[in-house]
Amino acid sequence: MSTEIVIALLAATVQSGTPILFATLGEILSEKSGVLNLGVEGVMILGALVGFVVARHSGNPLLAFVAAGLVGSAATAVHGPVCLWFQGNQVVSGLALTIFGVGLANYLGTAYIGTPAPGFSPVPLPGLSELPVLGPIFFNHDPLVYVSYLVPPLLWLFLHATRYGLGLRAAGEYPAAAVAAGLDVVAYRWLGVVGGGFFMGLGGAYLSLAYTHLWTSNLTAGRGWIAVALVIFAFWRPGRAVFGAYLFGGIMALQLRLQASGAQLPSSILLMLPYTLTVVVLVLSSWRKGSSDEPAALGVNVAPVD
Amino acid sequence: MVAEVHLLRLEAISKSFGKVQANSEVSLSLSAGRILALLGENGAGKSTLMAILAGQLQPDEGRIVLDGEELCFTSTEKAIGAGIGMVYQHFKLVEAMSVAENVFLGKKEGVWLRKGDMHQEIARLAEQYGMRVDPAARVGDLSMGEKQQVEILKLLYRQSRILIFDEPTAVLTPAEAENLFATMRLMAGQGKGIIFISHKLEEVMSVADDIAVLRRGRVVAAMPASAVTSTGALAECMVGREVLLQVDRQPLELRQIVLKVAQLSDFGLGEVSFELRQGEILGLVGVAGNGQKQLVETICGLRRPQENAVRLLGLDWVQFFRNPSWERTLAYVPEDRQGLATCQGLSLLDNFLLTTSAGFTRGPWLQRGLAADKARRLMEEFDIRPADLNAQAWQLSGGNLQKMVLAREFYRKPRLIVAEQPTQGLDIAAAEDVWKLLLEAREAAGILLVTGDLAEAMALSDRIGVMYRGRLVDLFAVDDEDKVALIPQMMAGLA
Repeated sequence: MSTEIVIALLAATVQSGTPILFATLGEILSEKSGVLNLGVEGVMILGALVGFVVARHSGNPLLAFVAAGLVGSAATAVHGPVCLWFQGNQVVSGLALTIFGVGLANYLGTAYIGTPAPGFSPVPLPGLSELPVLGPIFFNHDPLVYVSYLVPPLLWLFLHATRYGLGLRAAGEYPAAAVAAGLDVVAYRWLGVVGGGFFMGLGGAYLSLAYTHLWTSNLTAGRGWIAVALVIFAFWRPGRAVFGAYLFGGIMALQLRLQASGAQLPSSILLMLPYTLTVVVLVLSSWRKGSSDEPAALGVNVAPVD
Repeated sequence: MVAEVHLLRLEAISKSFGKVQANSEVSLSLSAGRILALLGENGAGKSTLMAILAGQLQPDEGRIVLDGEELCFTSTEKAIGAGIGMVYQHFKLVEAMSVAENVFLGKKEGVWLRKGDMHQEIARLAEQYGMRVDPAARVGDLSMGEKQQVEILKLLYRQSRILIFDEPTAVLTPAEAENLFATMRLMAGQGKGIIFISHKLEEVMSVADDIAVLRRGRVVAAMPASAVTSTGALAECMVGREVLLQVDRQPLELRQIVLKVAQLSDFGLGEVSFELRQGEILGLVGVAGNGQKQLVETICGLRRPQENAVRLLGLDWVQFFRNPSWERTLAYVPEDRQGLATCQGLSLLDNFLLTTSAGFTRGPWLQRGLAADKARRLMEEFDIRPADLNAQAWQLSGGNLQKMVLAREFYRKPRLIVAEQPTQGLDIAAAEDVWKLLLEAREAAGILLVTGDLAEAMALSDRIGVMYRGRLVDLFAVDDEDKVALIPQMMAGLA
């Protein structure tokens, strides 16, 4: 394989890893506050659809991108009352959100199947894109990829260097301690859930606005589930999430290229690769559970204060 | 002499839960720079009182006056804001976070957390109060004593002026406890008011300036520590002597030995020996934490003693618990009736079957209909309300739940009963029912009654044993008046 092919593959890796990265960071934010949200897949696809429809009708991709994030927040807000007000089962509520989101997006999107919408196209970053090797891999993309570079450090800063992030982590680790410190645990969990939904919506919008520029049924194709698994792989750390998202992006990009190059493997085996990797990654990361930052009260509802 | 300034006054605080009066007309005052010890047995109402101060509960009546101003705490946040801080018995610390992060969790202003500043400030605070904690250490890696220091640092950082310690030494080693007392004195020296909840007499005497004794929700004594002439008198205040109920107890003819404890010295116990016969109640008294728990858990099969130290119904411990039968055997009525004795989320029928299911099985099948008939009859007989087998255990009041536990255990026709604090937290009517049931059960069984309530022990027991520091100090008949008079001294380790 020549260097150009490898560089092209790595550039494609970054692009196909970006939607997963957004969704994984959203899920990390939610889980750090203690709320497990298995609705990522449904929230992503709703974001993808709304982004697509807004771009198509307004012609403004940036507006579409933000709208997708807001719809992501709105969709996860359904998860809030169930888990935060009525102490419902977080797993069931999340699954329902996925089933609902995927169904609704596919239904509403039927009329748009195969139609294009304006989106984002690559904008080489002046200076940086001329760097050898790194330039074409990281700095020759659409603006949303550059946005995605900023989110992990900002999320890390929020979680570890602000008092709001500290409160949010306490709500996910040991709510009783947060209550004893006079914090409103439910408010922090709302922040985690709705803020997380925003990034999941952005991840979906990336698919329709920058990755395909087209609407098709089941556009997300399980990327939401991969994001849920990646949170575990990432040990709930934004930095490791970048690594994980690009690992999966790489497998997806490789799989596409292998198919296109007419490899002798059946295409169904290639399509299976990302999901096989998910299983492998989960097994491997369970091995080293001790070093993970899993929130201790993840999935545990907090009783309302009377 | 400077007139003493009352930092905090509680005026006639009352709080009841249903029929149980947890606090009635409690009045206390705390002065700046002094350590007030609040003494009382489990269930005396200390925790309720402190929950009211910490803003977790609202009193039914009474006022909280801080610096001459009446306050109304509707939330923990308000109590914290007013400068009242609590060191809980179960630490409220996030184990996965650093010491600094835990301390700054309650920070109310600013957005950014600067690690360097945080660590410096904590190091400064810690040094000021003679504590040695690494601000960067992960709380989960700390010892219990260090964790407690983090709790204290949290309060100092918030500039709490009143610090409440809920049984702080329960989890500490003696050396750590000494450190804690030094810190408490230091804090008092800086003008903070300290409330120290405990039932350990020696500690209270060594550290407190003022002492208040709570019993059955009332303040039964309040005095400066210098006015205490003997710890025996304090112990007597705590357990009380006044007779609230009178039951008719006639001695029965004693029959075979059902429990024999010989030189039991495991788990911090010291050569405990006694025999219990069918037809008698042996009341075991003592301040909580003097080995009663270990003794009961050993007898009831939760801890394994040395060979031949405990014999139940004529069998050695190992043999007895190898094939426990479900009836005509040992019945345990634990203190923790909502955790150990019942399952909160199960129906009363299922709770009934917890220990009696062996009596309602045919092959692999459980005869629920049969069990339901039996349980319904028992509920009527024991007057348990609501008389609904589908009700879940948590829906019952303490008294009804206790009667339900007794009904279940007595249905097994036990020959040895271990009853731990059987009337704690019950109202008088329910307590009377429980007493009568125990006296009736005595005909067929030997009963070991462990209680922190001397009046209860005196009313029910044929013999009384006093425990202190894991030893059975003395064992005597209840009508031996000379010995009975000495019980408070024995409980305080003075006789």
